[in-house]
Amino acid sequence: MENENFEQRTDLSKLSAAVDQIKNTLARIIVGQQESIDLLIAGILADGHILIEGVPGVAKTLTAKLLSKAIDAQYSRIQFTPDLMPSDILGTSVFNPKSTEFKFKRGPIFGNIILIDEINRAPAKTQSALFEVMEERQITIDGQTYKMQEPFTVLATQNPVEQEGTYRLPEAQLDRFLFKIEIKYPSLAEEITILTQQHQQKTTDQLSDISPVLSADDIIALRQQVRTLHVEAKLLEFAAKIIYETRNHKSLFLGGSPRASLALINAAKALAAIRGRDFVTPDDIIYIAAPVLRHRIMLTPDKEMEGVSPDDVVAQIIQKIEVPR
Amino acid sequence: MMPRLLCIILFVLSVHSVQAIVVDKPAKHTTPLILKTDSSTVAVRYLDSTSLKAYTTLPEFQYKDDLQKDPSWWTRFWAWFWNLFKPIKINKHDPSPFLKILLNVFKYLIIALGIATVFFMVLKLAGINMLNIFRRKPTLAGLPFTELLEDIHDIDFDSETEKAITQHNYRLAVRLLYLKCLKQLSDADLIKWQIDKTNNAYINELTDSEKRQFFKTLTLQFEYIWYGEFPIDAPVFKKISTLFQDFNKSIA
Repeated sequence: MENENFEQRTDLSKLSAAVDQIKNTLARIIVGQQESIDLLIAGILADGHILIEGVPGVAKTLTAKLLSKAIDAQYSRIQFTPDLMPSDILGTSVFNPKSTEFKFKRGPIFGNIILIDEINRAPAKTQSALFEVMEERQITIDGQTYKMQEPFTVLATQNPVEQEGTYRLPEAQLDRFLFKIEIKYPSLAEEITILTQQHQQKTTDQLSDISPVLSADDIIALRQQVRTLHVEAKLLEFAAKIIYETRNHKSLFLGGSPRASLALINAAKALAAIRGRDFVTPDDIIYIAAPVLRHRIMLTPDKEMEGVSPDDVVAQIIQKIEVPR
Repeated sequence: MMPRLLCIILFVLSVHSVQAIVVDKPAKHTTPLILKTDSSTVAVRYLDSTSLKAYTTLPEFQYKDDLQKDPSWWTRFWAWFWNLFKPIKINKHDPSPFLKILLNVFKYLIIALGIATVFFMVLKLAGINMLNIFRRKPTLAGLPFTELLEDIHDIDFDSETEKAITQHNYRLAVRLLYLKCLKQLSDADLIKWQIDKTNNAYINELTDSEKRQFFKTLTLQFEYIWYGEFPIDAPVFKKISTLFQDFNKSIA
């Protein structure tokens, strides 16, 4: 979105090209889901972890896998099961009889892009293993701290909690996810396109054709660029008001944390960059508010029973606040 | 032949044993009963007629008068009320001490509830919401920021813009030009002004494609200057100001 009267302060051409390439790569296999793809890219650029929720069969894992493939970085996949132990994720100390010493064997969490499939199939004990690594990008085992390599991003998929065999994720863990992206069923036209594409496909291995678009270093550089984008003071107030209101809303049992405020601004910056601007507008904040807040806020039991969704409450809150202009 | 003989022998033996029991029973000796006659004299006692008369005058014995009187509505109400509990088999007249206390408490609770209902209905009819007295007041957030809540219809745009230009505050001047533009669109019923609407929402509200495109350009200028805080000097302001004037003329 260029303006002939003003020259951009930040060169976003590389970022725009990378975003277009990722979108094109994903669009070759994924039908529709434009909003989800935008949010996934924004999440990667904002240096956040992303939770993807949807009923079985809506290509949650495929989308996450494709995004991982588009980035040339160490990819690791962990399938969460009810009997998974924290040491299965983080790693464990193994005794070496030759050296008569314990040696730390790194778990699958050591990587750049971590795909956790069906994250809510594991109980709270296993989930707590992710607390430190998701927030501090490090793990501490046997008094030893191990730093994660940059970039470090967790892409997790889950079924809605109403589904059989799932657990509700701890609030502390949910707060560590930048976004919760809800993947809906495709429209009829999209469903027909999916079937047509599948029918015409010669090979079943769709992922082998995907080549990386960005390297780990590119991701680090783009994230640095996104961090420097401009946010006007009134927009910071606007974001703070939205989060503040969640703490006083009568339909909510738990409001957004200060981490949510930071997430809202960081995500809005990433979205502005994707949209080709080096500054944030109220539209960016409003667009990003529901994905940032829907998993962090908790409805009161009566509102939950009435069928009110967190997105409805976020919309109500935004309606009450004047857009800075 | 043998079983028949055995049966005959058993029958003969059993008859003999029965006869032996009858014969061995000893004979019972009975003594004649003698009837005694009570010959004592009975002293008949008569009630004192004067005392009896005195008793009949006491109020406790005026059963006839009581029966003639109709019970009061209060008594009838409680009679009806206790009748409701008949299936529970509470003996109201002879209850245990604990039950007696319980029944009294219950009775006064019902009375209190009745009074409260009447009181509430009176207040309701008078339009006073007394329930709010007992409710916890909602904790209103003491927002640490100043609410803008600007109404574009209350601003004198021309004088405010002039003032901003005189002070070389072109950023503020562009903001005022944009707000004036929104006001004119609202006055022309092309958009519906609301505090929660973003600039994009207003762009999408415009049905005329030419106007929409023009307004989109103006919005872009405003967003770069206001949200992007891009520095603006007099020549650029003049250029942008002309654009706003042209747009305002097109919707006037």
